[in-house]
Amino acid sequence: MRRLLLLMLLVLLSPAIHGSGNPPPKTAIGTDKECIQCHPKQFKQWQASAHAKKQPVAGCLACHGSLHGEAASRSRHDRACVACHGGVEGAVAHSYASSKHGVLMRLEESGYDWTKPLASANYRAPGCAYCHLHQGNHDVSAGVRSDAMHKEQPVPDVMRVVCRDCHAPRYTDRLFDNSNALLEIGRKKSREAEALFQAVPELGREDQAAIQQQFQKMHQHLQNVRLGAGHQSPDYQWWHGQPALDGDLLRIRGMIDEYRRKKQALPR
Amino acid sequence: MSKPPRYFWIPLILSLILVPAGFWYVGWSKSGEGAGLYSRQWVPDAMFAYWNPKDFYKPVETITGKFEGEECVACHTAVTPGIVKDWQASHHSRAEKKVYCSNCHGNDHQALHMPTPDICATCHATQHDQFEDEKRFGFPSHALAMERALDAKHFADKPKAEVTACLQCHSVASKCDSCHTRHRFSAAEARRPEACITCHSGPPHPDDETYFHSKHGQLYLAQGDQWDWSKPLRKGNYPAPTCAYCHMQDGKHQVADKSIWKFGIQKVNPLSSGNEIKRKQWIKLCSDCHEPEMAAKNLTALDQERKRAWDKLFQAESVLKELRSDKLFYPSARQRPPYPGDAPDKLWPREAIGFFEGQSSAFYNVSPIERDYFEMWYFSNLGAYKGAAHGDASFVAKGHQAMDQSLKSINKQAEALRNLGKVQPTNIWLNGEYTDYNREHN
Repeated sequence: MRRLLLLMLLVLLSPAIHGSGNPPPKTAIGTDKECIQCHPKQFKQWQASAHAKKQPVAGCLACHGSLHGEAASRSRHDRACVACHGGVEGAVAHSYASSKHGVLMRLEESGYDWTKPLASANYRAPGCAYCHLHQGNHDVSAGVRSDAMHKEQPVPDVMRVVCRDCHAPRYTDRLFDNSNALLEIGRKKSREAEALFQAVPELGREDQAAIQQQFQKMHQHLQNVRLGAGHQSPDYQWWHGQPALDGDLLRIRGMIDEYRRKKQALPR
Repeated sequence: MSKPPRYFWIPLILSLILVPAGFWYVGWSKSGEGAGLYSRQWVPDAMFAYWNPKDFYKPVETITGKFEGEECVACHTAVTPGIVKDWQASHHSRAEKKVYCSNCHGNDHQALHMPTPDICATCHATQHDQFEDEKRFGFPSHALAMERALDAKHFADKPKAEVTACLQCHSVASKCDSCHTRHRFSAAEARRPEACITCHSGPPHPDDETYFHSKHGQLYLAQGDQWDWSKPLRKGNYPAPTCAYCHMQDGKHQVADKSIWKFGIQKVNPLSSGNEIKRKQWIKLCSDCHEPEMAAKNLTALDQERKRAWDKLFQAESVLKELRSDKLFYPSARQRPPYPGDAPDKLWPREAIGFFEGQSSAFYNVSPIERDYFEMWYFSNLGAYKGAAHGDASFVAKGHQAMDQSLKSINKQAEALRNLGKVQPTNIWLNGEYTDYNREHN
């Protein structure tokens, strides 16, 4: 009988004994150190990510909050990301919100069961974490990542895989090829402006400052093309992106040209 | 009866030759690898298949055989579970006579097609007829969106990977899932304002921003999640209107018939006999919730805002036109790359100023002063219009402030051009990495 009681006690306690030996905390978590003890895998992935390497560091509590019971479901929501990534009206969030993914998310999120893991069977539309922490990988720089599009080379294959959860491979491959081409076109505009600027090293300080200001706008507009392509927002690819770059290019050209013409017009 | 005079025959014979020749020429120019009027001057990007399936979609030929009904569902539950799940949640799967994959995509797996509006029309004929009827009212409209995009000069001219961005929205003419996303095709989804914002957002059409800033939009944001979206868009069903409530009243798939100001891109007479009918329709619609007098006053306020806007725009236009007639534009149309395939543009290079000369294509490869006018007209003016029409005072103020600024800047630049006079051109407008690429890749 005593043996049976002991066995029953063991069975009852087994969930707590299983794993690291500690039961999940029921009270509020105070520091990231407490999380790391039980979640070494996620910690390791996170260490490799931009969230760990860049300042300010975004640790566990930044996204998961301090209540263990809702730590996972809380961080699956887009609002866990938006506050640091430019706010609701910023280009990062707005390019997503105006995409069809973002629209569906906005309309349907209250009906989703957020306690479920981020898999295509559980969610009709992907939020930030679905793609950027694909299959729960806490290295946000591993798969779909924003800086992949900054480099002057095609996006890596690991990014292409994510979209195939829901979309046909031919469709998404063409989308990626198109996005690569779209970005390269944007860079061509930017390089054309740069070359024009390099050709007039003798510009005065005031002219240089005005042109630099236009270059800053160009940088933002190129970023919009990236966001538009990545988040599939036609409005960011186009109106906030390509035609805006056209305007920057012709204005930079105009300023350089005006300088040259004025120089010509001066009596020798 | 006397013999017809000799000069009767000359125009008759000429027209007998020229009219068919004209038809033949248009037909010929539309028969190229691309689509639309300039179809011979460009080749499509691979993505065009999905945005304009009628012209460009080709099926994947990996699987052979003919499949129908549950056969498709059986395989695709494993291959594309999300799509099947969507379909299962849709009316298509719950209707008495189920609408299966094969009903819309065909049953030959080697020859599957993307469903175009005419396929949806098999069952939804009323909605499709209403949608087609938009063409009577011209552009802007959903039904003409693809056609007008393909025929735009800048579309033909720019690299096709770049203008794929345009087709994503202009595809509203080519497929119904722009508003009723696949594969749920929900009417309730399309009733909500978010269904429209993927395209109706940003500088030339900030419908997104202005609606959500308005009291209507604020009410929606505060309470919309609790409303019963299964109800039709009819008086009494919703406490505040959404995009579709006003623009697709009672679910009528026709967004162009009540349009008075045509997106704000051209000056119209709002009191013409045709527009008087539209005004009555608007007042009746607003009277679902408001007093008719209030609706009439709001329409008049919109007219006044438009008058103020067009006064400014015409001032800017006349400054530009004077510069053009004095040949002071720099770079002039001769000093910059022409649209490559456009014969008249090569023969008679001329700067396009204003709506009727096609300035909507002239936002690149133009001089800074022309770009300023483009932005004044296409961004600030249209933003102010949307603000006035949707009840967002902040966009009206912002738009008019920006127009005043542009007008000042245009006047200043015009003065500078006059002072500089006819100076030797520098030739830096004709070449560059993107400019060259744009000449070569269409």
